[in-house]
Amino acid sequence: MVKYRESGTPVREARTLLLGIDVGGTSTDGVLMHDGALVMSVKKPSSREKLAGTILEVLDELLEGRDPGALRRLVISTTLVTNLLATRSGPRTALILVPGRGLPFDYFRLAPDTYFLKGSIDFRGQVTEEISPFEIEKAVAHIRAAGIRHLAVAAKFSIRNQAVEQEIVRTLRRLYPEARVVSGSETANRMNFPRRAATAYYSAMTGEAWEEFVREIREALRRRGIKAPVEILKADGGTMPLEVSRQNPVETVFSGPAASAMGAVALTRRRENAVVLDIGGTTTDIALLIEGEPLHASKGARIHGRFTHIQALALRSLALGGDSVVKGAAGGVEITAERAGPAACFGGPAATVSDAFVVHLNLDLGDRARAEEKLAAAAAGSGLEPRAFAAAVVDQTLERLSRLMQEMFREWENEPAYKVWEIVHRRSFRLDRLVGIGGAAELVVPLLAEKMKVPGLVHRLAPVANALGAAVARPTLTVQLYADTQQGRYLIDREGIEGPIENPASFQLEEAKKTALDWLARLASAKGAGEYVGQARVNMAEQFNMIRGYSRVGKIFRVEVQIAPGIIDAFKGVSD
Amino acid sequence: MKPTGILFFPAFDWAISPTHPEREERLLYTRDQIFEEGVMDLPQIREYQPRLATPRDIARVHFCVPSIEAVTTEAHLVSAGGALVIGDAVASGEVKNGFAIIRPPGHHAMSVVHGNRGFCNINNEAIMIEYLRRRYGYRRIAIVDTDVHHGDGTQEIYYHDPDVLFISFHQDGRTLYPGSGFVEELGAPPAVGTTINIPLAPYTTDQGILLVLEELILPLLEEFKPELVVNSAGQDNHYTDPLASMRFTATGYAQLNRKLAPHIAVLEGGYSVETALPYVNLALILAMAGIEHDNLREPDYDPAAFKEDPGNLARLKRMAALQRENFRRREEEREAVRKSGQDFYTATRRIYYDTDNIHEFQQVRQRLCPRCCSYRVIASAAAHAYGRQTRVLCFSIPLACCSACRDEAREAYIRSREEGGAGFDYLYLQDRPADEYRRFHCQREQEVTIV
Repeated sequence: MVKYRESGTPVREARTLLLGIDVGGTSTDGVLMHDGALVMSVKKPSSREKLAGTILEVLDELLEGRDPGALRRLVISTTLVTNLLATRSGPRTALILVPGRGLPFDYFRLAPDTYFLKGSIDFRGQVTEEISPFEIEKAVAHIRAAGIRHLAVAAKFSIRNQAVEQEIVRTLRRLYPEARVVSGSETANRMNFPRRAATAYYSAMTGEAWEEFVREIREALRRRGIKAPVEILKADGGTMPLEVSRQNPVETVFSGPAASAMGAVALTRRRENAVVLDIGGTTTDIALLIEGEPLHASKGARIHGRFTHIQALALRSLALGGDSVVKGAAGGVEITAERAGPAACFGGPAATVSDAFVVHLNLDLGDRARAEEKLAAAAAGSGLEPRAFAAAVVDQTLERLSRLMQEMFREWENEPAYKVWEIVHRRSFRLDRLVGIGGAAELVVPLLAEKMKVPGLVHRLAPVANALGAAVARPTLTVQLYADTQQGRYLIDREGIEGPIENPASFQLEEAKKTALDWLARLASAKGAGEYVGQARVNMAEQFNMIRGYSRVGKIFRVEVQIAPGIIDAFKGVSD
Repeated sequence: MKPTGILFFPAFDWAISPTHPEREERLLYTRDQIFEEGVMDLPQIREYQPRLATPRDIARVHFCVPSIEAVTTEAHLVSAGGALVIGDAVASGEVKNGFAIIRPPGHHAMSVVHGNRGFCNINNEAIMIEYLRRRYGYRRIAIVDTDVHHGDGTQEIYYHDPDVLFISFHQDGRTLYPGSGFVEELGAPPAVGTTINIPLAPYTTDQGILLVLEELILPLLEEFKPELVVNSAGQDNHYTDPLASMRFTATGYAQLNRKLAPHIAVLEGGYSVETALPYVNLALILAMAGIEHDNLREPDYDPAAFKEDPGNLARLKRMAALQRENFRRREEEREAVRKSGQDFYTATRRIYYDTDNIHEFQQVRQRLCPRCCSYRVIASAAAHAYGRQTRVLCFSIPLACCSACRDEAREAYIRSREEGGAGFDYLYLQDRPADEYRRFHCQREQEVTIV
């Protein structure tokens, strides 16, 4: 396609293709989009052993016969970190903690190789007990002798004083240069010491494998002459450049559901409250969109049952999908958590949830006679007629899904609040729409939407919503600032950043916000999100007067600013 | 094992005035400490969110003059509602015990409320207790007030109720606000012996307070057998508190609460926001959740710093013995009252509202009934700064009131109303058995039912 500039010089229409790849548990999906239209999609079985290999196969198929120069961006959502953690196959990692005063040390024994160091910091950042270099040496000797090369360091209240942690990191690097050291204050320096420790620990554990993946992808793209920016999808539904992902690879955990939710955002593109139902074979994942943005879990991603500081979607799963086998039980139906194969109407061996919907709705989908036959067999034990049995399965499915959704709404409404205003003006969830994706969504979502009296949407691109979500998700970045004017300094929650407050006496909330936004802008341009700084918003801004005696001695500020998950500006929605 | 319920409501947007001890900053460092520890993520802990207490919840305890809206802010309703939520969590068995870390506090608020005294407008514990009695049928309740100031509001509310054992230890009233809480304050005649005060000498240490616990509080609880123990948990006995002069430590608070094992703790005072509250609040949480506290201490803590004066210990032992005796003789004393044939017990008192500068004069009459814990009639006149005066007459019918006394009280209220208020500005009827609360505006001859 050729376009002419006003000067009349013909130029190639460049960099308009968006490419997204989502590695799932069973299959890897890829899409190529151009101007809101799907150019091509690819599906391949996922392979745990050759993760990068599968990604490249999908990439090659999508780009076959096309000019790599036409690619605007390439986004990958991968299960590498998720799998590494799920299978507990990461390398042995040491967790070095400075818990200081408070809970007993044992409550922070988050890992088999946890080392506790002396030292204590208080909530204002004052060191109340010094660390001991001798203890660090002893710990290093022990760690080295155990053959552990991956180290994570976290100190309680490093959110108020990063120097202690950084001193330990320096000592570790000096004494044990072959080791890889990650610290809590560099990864996510936010309040909650155990979550910070867990985040640093899993980041240290996955760092090496991720580096290898990055090298492999980088090399493969170089060989193919692909110069387009490559981004990685994070658990929060945002992206980060491939190179940036090396800083904190654990942020890529659970990116699959984030890809699907962003796909739903891309397909609806409305600032409304919606439920995204990803109805698969035997499970349904439910995510919420609040005014068009995916809702994050308030306690962060959970890994091995531990909370972390990794922002991830507030996701709820139900062991119920299109292929779930249904059985007759005394006077009713039982929807099992098992899968025996595809639905009977598609040649499967047993009656499933999908079969019940097909029969109940008289749909011409696959072999309905076979679905009826299998349902009749399953209904035998229930004392119900086959059609009544199908209706009962449909009812139970809708009931369980709607109950779980209601629970999620209540949870959102009852999120912790610490201000009078928030309690008096408790928010209430108003549902605007159901968005279905996944294999069985087409069957379930219309009836569910009817039951909940809201519009339902199952877009024709729903089957590739996950890869689409990856392709069009924009970068995200959240920055927290903590400032103490009595001490004349502020801290940023990333990369150990700290700075002075020039005029403590006149430093006000507006300046605190501005400082946070300035840092967001600086970090964003380093992290490939510079384009969206203008769309950043202030999520939280607190200020407290510090009164000693009867006069003010200073102020404490906490500010959070964010480039929230969203869709890249270049994508204007799906053309119908 | 059931978890411990925690409701943390720091009211980060509420203060009495910008530099007042009861200001936004008060629970800031407590927030830092408990959230940095990850306390709310522990399996032993379940976090709760407050709701708004309703006017009826408040009217069950208080006569608010001229109205609930006039003497409370939304912050008070949320704080009291926080105590209600924790009360529900414990009463329904969702948690084994619960701690409402709420502000504003409440233990200086009495039955009649003309304004704020001792930083309190409405009594969070009493509102919770009357709600729990109503909803879950509790009868016998013990309140242990561990705030450094005498819990005079709670004492007054339960002074006439033999089913509520109120025990308060505090810095001697001769040296600290509110200037009451002496050994002689034992309860109104029908409830004598179920109000127990232990005034402590300034500078009393962990050892002294734990002695009071062991030798007085625990034996009394053992004998009284309450269905519910509530800790009215002030944290200003701490050695760094700016308003008081005691020498209690976080370790001492943890030991106290471990042994006391209250079902519910409700935060009261405590104004050493940076050097005490983070540690003491965490100490209470650990004690209630059954987590060891040996790694929790103030940065400047020195176990050898505070030595208890042997003379003080001997005095506390004597006081404990005296109060045990007063408690044991309570039935005898009450029997004597019943036999005296008197119809009413009458008392008068003056109450000062330090925050709002109000002088109140009260006359209280309690019906002496051989069959029940009978009703009270409170006549109260309040002189506000700048000369405004308000006079109210309040009829309070407790849950355990017999039907004859209850009818009598209601008739007396109706009679006063028909007389056009008998010289009062407002009349109040608090009928707890019916859960019915009314206020009559005498000048307008207008009655409202509070719901």
